[in-house]
Amino acid sequence: MNEFLSWSELGFLGKTLINLGFISALLGTVVAALASLSHPPLSKRVWAISTKSFWGLQLASIVGASAVLLILIANHQFQYYYVWNHTSLDLPMEYLLSAFYGGQEGSFLLWILMSSVLGLGLMAWTRAPYRWPVMSVMGFTQVFLISMLLGWSFGDGVMLGASPFRTLLEEMPSAPFLQANPDFVPADGRGLNDLLKSPWMMIHPPALFVGFSMMTAPFAFAIASLWTRTYHEWVRPALPWTLSANVFLLTAIFLGGYWAYETLSFGGYWAWDPVENASLVPWLIGTAGIHTMIIQKKSSRAHSASLFFAIFAYVLIIYETFLTRSGVLANASVHSFVDLGLYNQLLAFMVAITVLGFGFYFWRYRDLPKPKKESSLLSKEVLTFTGSILLLVLGLVIILGTSSPIIGRLFYDNPTPPDIQFYNDWSGPLALVMGVLTVIGQMVFWQRQSWVSLGTGLLLPTIATSVITAISAIMGQVNDLYSITFFWVGWFTVIGNGWVMGSLMMRNPALIGGTVTHIGFGVLLIGVLASSKYNTFLVPPVTESFNARVAAGEAFDEEGFPITTQIESFELQRNQPKVVNQQYMVTYEGYELKDTPRPGTQIYTITFQPLDGRDAFTLRPEVYPMSSTAGTDRVDWSVDPDILTGWMSDIYLFVGGSALVERRNEQIAAQATMNEAAMSRAVSGQEVDASEAANTNGQSMTTTDSVSVVSLLPNDPVQAGPYQFTFTGYEPAQQDEVPENTQVAIRANIQVTHMPTGRSYEVVPLFAVFIDEGENFTYSPSLRIEEWGLDVQFSSIVPNDESIELTVAGLNEFIEEDWIYLTVEKKPFVSAVWLGTFLLMGGFSISIFRHWARDRQAKQSGGNRVNSSDPAVA
Amino acid sequence: MKIKVILGVVAIVAFSSLVFYNFGNSISTYVDFEGAQGMKGAHVVGTWDDTQEAYFNRETMQFSFWMTDETGNKRKILYPRPKPNNFEQATQIVVIGEYRGNTDVFVANDMLMKCPSKYNDPSALQMQEASS
Repeated sequence: MNEFLSWSELGFLGKTLINLGFISALLGTVVAALASLSHPPLSKRVWAISTKSFWGLQLASIVGASAVLLILIANHQFQYYYVWNHTSLDLPMEYLLSAFYGGQEGSFLLWILMSSVLGLGLMAWTRAPYRWPVMSVMGFTQVFLISMLLGWSFGDGVMLGASPFRTLLEEMPSAPFLQANPDFVPADGRGLNDLLKSPWMMIHPPALFVGFSMMTAPFAFAIASLWTRTYHEWVRPALPWTLSANVFLLTAIFLGGYWAYETLSFGGYWAWDPVENASLVPWLIGTAGIHTMIIQKKSSRAHSASLFFAIFAYVLIIYETFLTRSGVLANASVHSFVDLGLYNQLLAFMVAITVLGFGFYFWRYRDLPKPKKESSLLSKEVLTFTGSILLLVLGLVIILGTSSPIIGRLFYDNPTPPDIQFYNDWSGPLALVMGVLTVIGQMVFWQRQSWVSLGTGLLLPTIATSVITAISAIMGQVNDLYSITFFWVGWFTVIGNGWVMGSLMMRNPALIGGTVTHIGFGVLLIGVLASSKYNTFLVPPVTESFNARVAAGEAFDEEGFPITTQIESFELQRNQPKVVNQQYMVTYEGYELKDTPRPGTQIYTITFQPLDGRDAFTLRPEVYPMSSTAGTDRVDWSVDPDILTGWMSDIYLFVGGSALVERRNEQIAAQATMNEAAMSRAVSGQEVDASEAANTNGQSMTTTDSVSVVSLLPNDPVQAGPYQFTFTGYEPAQQDEVPENTQVAIRANIQVTHMPTGRSYEVVPLFAVFIDEGENFTYSPSLRIEEWGLDVQFSSIVPNDESIELTVAGLNEFIEEDWIYLTVEKKPFVSAVWLGTFLLMGGFSISIFRHWARDRQAKQSGGNRVNSSDPAVA
Repeated sequence: MKIKVILGVVAIVAFSSLVFYNFGNSISTYVDFEGAQGMKGAHVVGTWDDTQEAYFNRETMQFSFWMTDETGNKRKILYPRPKPNNFEQATQIVVIGEYRGNTDVFVANDMLMKCPSKYNDPSALQMQEASS
């Protein structure tokens, strides 16, 4: 690599490729627009070939730029800001690859790359009259996306885009260390956020961006339809793309939800976080569009609705991108994206897409085909359309909640995000109506129904649903009306659609896509309610009775105030089992330490013995220090839950605190104090007492008596804590291990014995006095005995009686106090959430193949006629 | 046709008003400790007052500490869960809750930490859930 290009030239190449991609997208948009005209200047052929060439050039540039970024990351070129900010030397290859899209710039690049590849597919498979208008719209969106990565500076800090190839110097021109040495290259990078070091990171973002870029296709087809005033045909090619976009978005939503459930301690798979909503809302609107497109194909109705949804779904993707990346939501989301100063650019993108989409839509609105006579209420058109409207309403409600930092200003100056309850209160009832409607809709969709025939057809499913709901309500001890209604609708959706699916299987199994999707929706309803509302915290009997008192309003604290919050976690001493909820005997068996993939990971072993005689199982939750925010004087802990997945329920648990974590915190605080004390004023008699220094350290929250001073006379053993210290003599120190201008440097031979075990270590700590700017300083770094967590520092020599003083940290730490705080949750039927999601994906996929095959059929039979009017395209 | 349009408009207006009304009720505004007086689910932004003791009561499983809000008022906070891991590092804390009875003690049902993250520019802050 290096033989052809230097690393700085490679970065320049990356920037050039981005610029080239931008220019070819811009020119490609123009030439594709010319190719779309019915009588373009020159010949149509010229513009068609130019469009192909510019798209090819754009794709090549973007692939090239992505390759350059990967090469820079893989070769640890930390002079580049992006590489330095998101990767480090210790990352294994798979995380280096995913660090590519670990930041804003890289994730834009991934999105652009996906769209570029997708554009190639659209160009190959789209026919006249949509082919060139579609490419022009695709190019238009690429122009805006690529502009986010340009990094053009217009002086005064006015920038267009943020380049992934900018150097540290370009990023921080005024940083003193860079002004002193502009060629400075950091030895290591800042690394990938620990939470992103997960196998899910490798597939979740790519799936999401494939979904985002595929959602461009229905938008492009809708614009192409308005452009060419051919309002009937566009849904045929657009529908498979919309279905595919939906499958990818759903996959991404699922992966994100599972990731959150499995590795974050939020306790669930969905939190209505703005970034989660950002992928859910376009999915809902895309699904609404799929419904209306199907009506349009079947009944030649709902043209305006199909166009509206196809435009709106993409507008929402850009709107949510704006919300999450512009810094507007910085206070409201756990996903934090840095504000790269792209606010105005993102806003411009959103306005441009909205104006192009809805502007065109309203301009042509009067021209759109309208149905001549109205459909009856009990027609597939009306019912399917109602489904779309419900999806739209749900989407709008979620957008409203997510937009609270903006729309909330109508109510308050400084609005907070809405309560989670807001989302639950609206999505629940809407989902119920949708569930019932799917069954009636499917019944009517495949067969003309009168009110009487519909009623007869629904009779058996209704009876079956009621019986099963009653049984499950009794078994699950469900006794509130809302839950019973919810479960009834869930079961009704499953059974009713299953009924329809059964009859379709006999007619033609290729048609079952829709029913499978709707069954999945029903399963999802059951799973969501069961796992959220019937989630229980497993606690020991004492806590259980306390919680019962809290629930009854009879629990009071020491000052006599009522306690309103139930206790969710409990303390567990090592090898002292506790029984929780009369279901399991839980034992904390101990912990082990592991350094890969995250250094300092603590793995706790917790066994569950079911009291009903089933097999015992073991869970291993982890706690690890976040390397991302670690400093020398403190550490941030992150927890990684463990889950036992079952068909009926999941056992989910995490360690919220432990003796080990507290010991580590104390050690780190004590070490920080000793490091300060190691460089202290000496000789003039002002010895700094390390133990006193430790006591003034406000950071340590519990005992600080772990730092002690031990005075030793030669060959006279002294006991401190469980250890015996013997000073056996001095040793000279090497010149190269002491600071400059050292006056005295000597090492002491110390024998340390752990009395209970009889094991001993020899340590030889250094003591040096040096002069700096005319003042005397001591230099005495502490040495560590890893096995015992003991730090020994040679802190002073007492001239009068030949004794020396050691400062020792960690004396009391070897006493094995070992406990953990454990939070254990039993979540019923999380499995149904996943199963429902898989059924949705499966149903959509079946439909993709069906509509794709139909589109190809139409191409073969009717394609000649369309193409013959446009010879240039063939 | 006319009647249908009118009905539709009425339905849309009624539904949107209901959603907006509910939305307005479910959001709130960030306040200081003075403003939180008498409020339920008040969001107060502030910092940990590290001159006062912060401790976890193993009996009641409550974590308590003192917080200084943005206008300088100090209040004792009770949080009915173990100390969040990222507590000491938080550059800003948002407590969500209400005063206990007529006292000056604020019970936080929820707590959000804003932690400085080195992935962000030094000026930017990262919000982290109070994962205990």
